[in-house]
Amino acid sequence: MKRIFIKPELCEGCKNCQVACLAEHSPSRSVWFVNLSDQGSQPRNFVELNNEGRPVPLSCRQCDEPECVNACVSGALQRDPATGLVVHNQKQCAGCWMCVMSCPYGMILPDARENKIAVKCDFCADRGTPRQSAL
Amino acid sequence: MQKYRLNWAAGITAARLLPEEKAVLADNGDKLYYDKLLIATGASSILPPVENIRRGRQVYGLRNIDDVSAIGAAENCRQAVIMGGGLVGIDAAAALSEKGLSVTVVEVADRILPLQLDKKAAARYEALFRDRGIEIITGEMVSKIVLDEKENVTGVQLKGGRLIPCSLVVAATGVKPEISFLEGTAIEVGRGIRVNEYQQTSYPDIYAAGDVCESVETFTGKITTTPIWPLAVMQGKVAGTNMAGVRRKAAGNFAYKNSMTFFGLAAVSFGLPEAPDSSYETYILDSPGSYEKIIIKDGRLKGAILQGDITRAGVLGALIREDYPVKAAPDKLFDLNYACFFHELENGEFTYQDEALTSR
Repeated sequence: MKRIFIKPELCEGCKNCQVACLAEHSPSRSVWFVNLSDQGSQPRNFVELNNEGRPVPLSCRQCDEPECVNACVSGALQRDPATGLVVHNQKQCAGCWMCVMSCPYGMILPDARENKIAVKCDFCADRGTPRQSAL
Repeated sequence: MQKYRLNWAAGITAARLLPEEKAVLADNGDKLYYDKLLIATGASSILPPVENIRRGRQVYGLRNIDDVSAIGAAENCRQAVIMGGGLVGIDAAAALSEKGLSVTVVEVADRILPLQLDKKAAARYEALFRDRGIEIITGEMVSKIVLDEKENVTGVQLKGGRLIPCSLVVAATGVKPEISFLEGTAIEVGRGIRVNEYQQTSYPDIYAAGDVCESVETFTGKITTTPIWPLAVMQGKVAGTNMAGVRRKAAGNFAYKNSMTFFGLAAVSFGLPEAPDSSYETYILDSPGSYEKIIIKDGRLKGAILQGDITRAGVLGALIREDYPVKAAPDKLFDLNYACFFHELENGEFTYQDEALTSR
């Protein structure tokens, strides 16, 4: 199982990882053409300030025992045993928010455009390597 | 099913447990023998003690797909009364209203969703329901189902005397563990089947998980039923692991959490909806689109409600479940996120278990 390791002491809070995520999940996949003023433009990774006001980059861990999957009543969330990724099938999602309630780290959230289904990090599914880690 | 070599005995009911023979008697007379048994029979809806409730032909619980079909088949109904303003009742009210029925909800507490929400958050939902023509009556209860001579429902009578005409009643007043087939056995039962932290019952070879069982709940420290889906899944996995011979304890048996969304307004709540006394501090962030409430005692979270913006709700839930110190000034409470608690394990997973906590 691959994970993006985090060294918060190196984070400068530039949020380029969030821009990369936004672009990857936009129709053009291009940083040049991503519409930042679109309400539905929503990064699936985060840079948050801790209690000392220092930025910490956060993204879904693709947990070995994911609580979001345990909580998912519709079966939209599954852990792929081959890749170890926690995969979200948007077509099957009922928007009940049990996963949002259950992720102890707040890494899955309602979609910003319609507030009807959940969105989470897909590890840049068909890219091979997550785009944020190429920075 | 094939992959895991499972046999599904479809269409038969487990009628009786025969623990001395290590067998389950099916309603077709078959005896199914076991080495280890898991009881996962869930719960069924309760019909409250109200006059005529069992005689009325259009009185339904709402639990199984059959209930949904039965309610859906009651096509000629124009008016429905929902007994109970909890999650099930409110969901039923929204669905029936969207089908075009005129709907009235009768709730005994002073607000709908009293176990999940405080007055303010409940009032936002009540307003959304009333906007759509759904009548919400609080502080009242149904005292009688009114029937015609053929036992068809024609209305309900409230305790206060008011008569509400209707041709459909949905009883959404709670559930009870489905344990009737245990009659005659010595298995330890309270409200549900009593299990230890391995999901094991008083018979060592019999396990139980989900809505049918009762166990030590994390938030209260008391033995209660834990009728929420994520815990049923967790308990089922723990039971299965132990039945397969690998010891594993249930963890995070925290039942005081709920998520909901009605008419586009989302909410998540954890722990206490209201501070029980003055030893708790309550913090509220109230804006037109969003309502947040945090209840703290001795530096630890005891309750949280997020309505509207539910992003990162799970962090608050984890803090309550783990009884983890909040470590934030009151003005930073509504910015709480996992960056404040960041701790990465060697394999890259996150955790809340820092050194201070493990040494506790």
